[in-house]
Amino acid sequence: MANQPAAARRILLVDDDRGLRLVLSALLTEAGHVVDLAGDGPEALAMLDGGAFDIVLLDIGLPSMSGLDVLAAARALAAPPAVVVMTADDTSETLLEAVRRQAYRYLRKPFPPSAIIEVVDDAAASASAATLSIEVVSARPEWLELIAPCALEMADRIRSFVMHLEADLPEPVRESVAQAFRELLTNAIEWGGKLDPERKVRISCVRAKRMLLYRIADPGEGFDIDRLRHAAISNPDDDPIRHLIVREEKGLRPGGFGLAMTRSLVDELIYNEARNEVMFIKYLD
Amino acid sequence: MRMRIDEQRVADVTILRLKGRLELEEGDLTLRDYVNKLVEEGHVKLLLDMNEVTRLDSAGIGMLVSKFLTARRRGGAIKLLHLTDRSGHLMDITRLSTVFEIFEDEDAAVRSFGAAPASGE
Repeated sequence: MANQPAAARRILLVDDDRGLRLVLSALLTEAGHVVDLAGDGPEALAMLDGGAFDIVLLDIGLPSMSGLDVLAAARALAAPPAVVVMTADDTSETLLEAVRRQAYRYLRKPFPPSAIIEVVDDAAASASAATLSIEVVSARPEWLELIAPCALEMADRIRSFVMHLEADLPEPVRESVAQAFRELLTNAIEWGGKLDPERKVRISCVRAKRMLLYRIADPGEGFDIDRLRHAAISNPDDDPIRHLIVREEKGLRPGGFGLAMTRSLVDELIYNEARNEVMFIKYLD
Repeated sequence: MRMRIDEQRVADVTILRLKGRLELEEGDLTLRDYVNKLVEEGHVKLLLDMNEVTRLDSAGIGMLVSKFLTARRRGGAIKLLHLTDRSGHLMDITRLSTVFEIFEDEDAAVRSFGAAPASGE
């Protein structure tokens, strides 16, 4: 069996639901992490002052003090932890405020146990989960605009936020949009941004009555679509894997299916002239 | 969830049950290393059970095809079992359902390699 255990992390779990605290604590301890517990905001702040936590799992609806204020305080520490927000409050305002205050991820309650393990694994596996920041340009539900470092982990982090905003859409639509968005954002970060966190990618997500429009602008020079022999979109109809031979010859990792997939998942896919900006549209009726 | 792979041998067919995400730097390298080791050991008839693959992206699909080619060059094959609806859709839109043999029935998949299915399973 191949198994990649997550590195053990020190976690502060903040929730006023004692039962949930105990269940999640047992789960995380079994996964090898060290877990401290707090039942409200002031207790959490005191513990954050006294110890260095890698990850904070934070309920928003706490008594006496909002979890969003605990989030802000945690992120203001000299060595801030990655803060995962957990809440039954599914309003877009709460989500967007969590994004603005640099939450690492957002989990809507109730969630399956695997979700908390997955998000903690992601944070634990990332050396920069707590340090990379997202700049919020616009945080309206109808117009979310972000500027993010070109680090691969940003693709899942931003995808997670954006998909919570589209939670009311039918599951197949959400899945298609999520997949297309992640593929294009990964392309922008990997090829346009060269995986350099000092370079930035700009993301806009516009929600209109009858469509979703996503725009991703990367800091690269763009590309010539006629020279994409290493991408599946260049393959002849009778040979859907020819580009993989080209990728092997060029020493590129296996892949190259992203554009071909995205074209099928959305209604319109439009590049600018240089092809360092891409827009896709999904119609809702 | 980090990629986990459970292995089962039926005659000369190796069944790999993949669990977790098969995405860029999230499971794709685990699969690559696991398959490379098996092929080096001479196990080239591989059946990948995809039922518990929670997410699949273009890099994960690319790794499946890359390892398909690895096995084929050594006289073997990689076949797929129990694709989820989502994974099946992605294989369709990339036209890879014309490349891979895809099965819903494990015994039929094992037989397709010319091996007898495991009894009592």
